[in-house]
Amino acid sequence: MAEKLEDLNLPLTVVTRIVKESLPDGVAISKEARTGLAKAASVFVLYVTSAATNIVKNKKRKALTGQDVLDAMRDIEFDRFVEPLGVAFEQYKQIASARKSGSGKKKEEGDDVEIIEDD
Amino acid sequence: MSTPKAEKDLHLPLSRVKTIMKSSPDVEAVGPEPLYLVTKVTELFVTDLAKRAFKNSKNNFLEYKHIAEVVQEDDTLDFLREIMPRKITVRQFKELMAKKAAKGDLSDDESSESSEEYSTDESSSGKEANDQE
Repeated sequence: MAEKLEDLNLPLTVVTRIVKESLPDGVAISKEARTGLAKAASVFVLYVTSAATNIVKNKKRKALTGQDVLDAMRDIEFDRFVEPLGVAFEQYKQIASARKSGSGKKKEEGDDVEIIEDD
Repeated sequence: MSTPKAEKDLHLPLSRVKTIMKSSPDVEAVGPEPLYLVTKVTELFVTDLAKRAFKNSKNNFLEYKHIAEVVQEDDTLDFLREIMPRKITVRQFKELMAKKAAKGDLSDDESSESSEEYSTDESSSGKEANDQE
């Protein structure tokens, strides 16, 4: 599990990059605002996770699915994310199935777990 | 050149998101599909929060208070209120208290609103005290 406490926070630099990309060029962001947004993002991960696991529990299932995450959005009243997330989910599934059917590119399989930490 | 991968459009490290998800007591395993979606929606969330906070800012400068303002005004962000309290200066606090005293019990609504701000501030200092332990 998490060995250091920092492991439970999302990397500040990456969150800042997302923030900068969503704002017009040349916007300055205070240090406190950056750490605040990173903290908020980390807490959001847990918030969504617990909403999704609640759905799993209520349905008396065990494994968490992508659909549970999508359904959780409505439960926590983040309906505005349902559409963009649904689109991303469809794309993800398409790419995932294309990867499976493309038997020539077996080397790519099992890649989803190994993601480079760029921090 | 490289095969298109859905994970490529993500910024946040999946491994870190997974660690955070697994720190939740009810989560045993996290498959690639829910992991991708939680990561994706967290990025949507950061973008959304930053954009809304930016609307409160001036002179192209985004500060903590602009984010805290969004958090305090949107009930769906209630889960962030403890970690993102509105910060006020001592002078503002005194003014607030003076205003409250002057108003007396003229209007219940407004006085309860300011006491809410007071408790928000108090909970933050309480938290800091805990953190220092």
